[in-house]
Amino acid sequence: MRARSPVAGLRRRELGPLGVLAQSVATTAPAGAMAAVPLLVTAAAGRDAPWSVAIAAVLVGLVVASIAVFARRMAAAGGLYSFTAKGLGPGGAYACAVSMVLGYALLVAAALVGASWYARALVERLWPVDTTAVGVAVVVVLSAAIAALAVRGVRLAGRVMLVVEGASIALILVVLVTLAVRAPAGPPPPPLPPGGLTGVAAGVLPAVAAFIGFDSATALGVEARRPFASVPRAVAVTAGGAALLYLVAMVVHLAAPAVLPALTVVGPDGGPGAAVIGTWAPVLLDAGIIASFGACTLAALNTLVRVLFSLAREGVAPAVLGRTHRRHLTPAAAVGLSVPLLALPPVVGTLAGVAPQDLLGGLLAVATVGFLAAYLLVCLAAPRFLRRIGELTPAVVVTSWCAVPVLAVVIVVALWRSAGPLLPVTVGIVVLAAGAGWVALRRTHAAQLDGMGVYDETTAADLHPADRAR
Amino acid sequence: MSPTEAARTITGRQPQAVRSALAILEAVAAAGIGTTAKDISAELRIPPATTYRLLNLLVAEEYLVRLPDLRGFALGRRAANLAPTPVTTPTAARAVMERLRSRVRWGAHLAGYLGHRLVFLDPDPDHPPVDAGELSRHLHASSLGRLLLAEHDDEPATGAARLTPHTVVDPRELAGRLAEVRATGLARQCGEFRAEHGCLAVGVRAPGDGRLVAGLALTGPAARVAAPNDDLVEVLRAHAAELGPLLA
Repeated sequence: MRARSPVAGLRRRELGPLGVLAQSVATTAPAGAMAAVPLLVTAAAGRDAPWSVAIAAVLVGLVVASIAVFARRMAAAGGLYSFTAKGLGPGGAYACAVSMVLGYALLVAAALVGASWYARALVERLWPVDTTAVGVAVVVVLSAAIAALAVRGVRLAGRVMLVVEGASIALILVVLVTLAVRAPAGPPPPPLPPGGLTGVAAGVLPAVAAFIGFDSATALGVEARRPFASVPRAVAVTAGGAALLYLVAMVVHLAAPAVLPALTVVGPDGGPGAAVIGTWAPVLLDAGIIASFGACTLAALNTLVRVLFSLAREGVAPAVLGRTHRRHLTPAAAVGLSVPLLALPPVVGTLAGVAPQDLLGGLLAVATVGFLAAYLLVCLAAPRFLRRIGELTPAVVVTSWCAVPVLAVVIVVALWRSAGPLLPVTVGIVVLAAGAGWVALRRTHAAQLDGMGVYDETTAADLHPADRAR
Repeated sequence: MSPTEAARTITGRQPQAVRSALAILEAVAAAGIGTTAKDISAELRIPPATTYRLLNLLVAEEYLVRLPDLRGFALGRRAANLAPTPVTTPTAARAVMERLRSRVRWGAHLAGYLGHRLVFLDPDPDHPPVDAGELSRHLHASSLGRLLLAEHDDEPATGAARLTPHTVVDPRELAGRLAEVRATGLARQCGEFRAEHGCLAVGVRAPGDGRLVAGLALTGPAARVAAPNDDLVEVLRAHAAELGPLLA
């Protein structure tokens, strides 16, 4: 038994259950997704959209169960890829690590774009001017702020995220429900067409995409006070809560279909519904969504730097990424190196005049594929891990068998049905680059690859005093 | 189901689950380090799925730990709270205490730490100390307790009770006092536990790894404890250094 944990350097066993929960909730950013999900899913599934959300929720539930298999047994800083290493070995761990870095890095960039987009829209609602400078300023200021908070420690960051996300969820719920109840008295809009089986199936992808990030508390295993209790609970509560919020938003949207499009059409005049809903609601909703995107950047960054930290400690990534802040005990080097890189695409995209919705959509689509691949790998790994440690139960095998093929289909659909060749080409390039990286690492860093999956092992100090001397 | 949810659903109306959990604890204690879930399930004839769930629950609550191979189990730090090892004080340590008592006119007490509890190893017979249980409940207000709190700086300092008008209960102020204890190695308290009394304490540490094994305290009138007492502190430190190898 080691005297010192291989992930020493982080603030061990300190973060309370609420902080752990905040991390997952903020990464998922249900407030922002609530406004977008009903529109995206009804576009595919029409009036049957709640079924798409329900199917997505069940699928996410299976992933939650697979994650819990690991989260109850080991506490890691690398989250899902550290878990996967224990079931699928270095190959699976490497693939999962690449998927996670891709997913979380692009999620940070996408949320930066989202915050800057809605901030511009908010400014344009009030003063119709050119807001390119505002967009760039928001990205720069927000990046600096999340970098500072991420270095300062997950305890403070957790409190900030919890308040921000809680407030924006409440705000959006209140706006949505109030407007739906006081629905415009005009002629009722034509009912949506039924989506049928194919429609429902097509609606599952945007619905699942709305959940991504619920796993991010798993990267706080080392820092959580009672990780085996708080981490699986945070993951489950986030997924369950998000499912509930999306279903509520969906039902409200179906009951009053005119409200949401009028609210979220980004533009100074607020679209056709502005006359009936007034001008205060879009402003409030925008504020809520900006806050939600802001919390999401911070939360996704927290997980990203812990994954990089863990990879660096294993020797797979450059060692400099494994350095922690001496006083705050956070992966400060990874924060300093990654944040400028992540802020670059939003800034360049904004200056080049790329429409923010296209930039956001593109980044999110690639991120989603990364997350789904990581979820698939962890579901595949769960039964193998349990068999290895001799704790396999039939329920876990069934969970894995149900989740893996469905996730594979969802990934294929995501690539197949994407709007242009950009997504499949990007994913193809990433897969090729990752494959080349694997071959290169296998040649030069074989031992480090085999050692993937470090986690916060039990040390002598955790044992009963009577057993310590042995 | 998460372990805490499991804990919530196992109510007092499900005695079998409680019985099984206790049986598992006992089985791990008896088998020693490295027993596996399968072994335990077979030995206790508890269905595997139930065994795994209860084991995960006990690990989540830190009564058990999973070993680095992830298969084996051992008793965790928290299990020590269930059955504190009986304390005996070596004669040589008692002799050191006698010598200290002959040199000072204050009450001199030697107390050991079991997890987060405080037990007297050698209380001063002429100046009986306050009850160890009461001290353990209000670690923030005594110098012996503050030595322990300073050692575990992860301990949340909230919910501290105000025992006298002088008791420090503000978490930030208390954290400052604990930082002082860590810096100087000396804990001091004047009239915070009992209005008219105060105490000075230094840690008795293991010679090798320097971990805190006991606390050596002098008690006296609050006003006199508040004075610098430099000579007295030196005597106290010298005796604590002598006690280290005898107790660790």
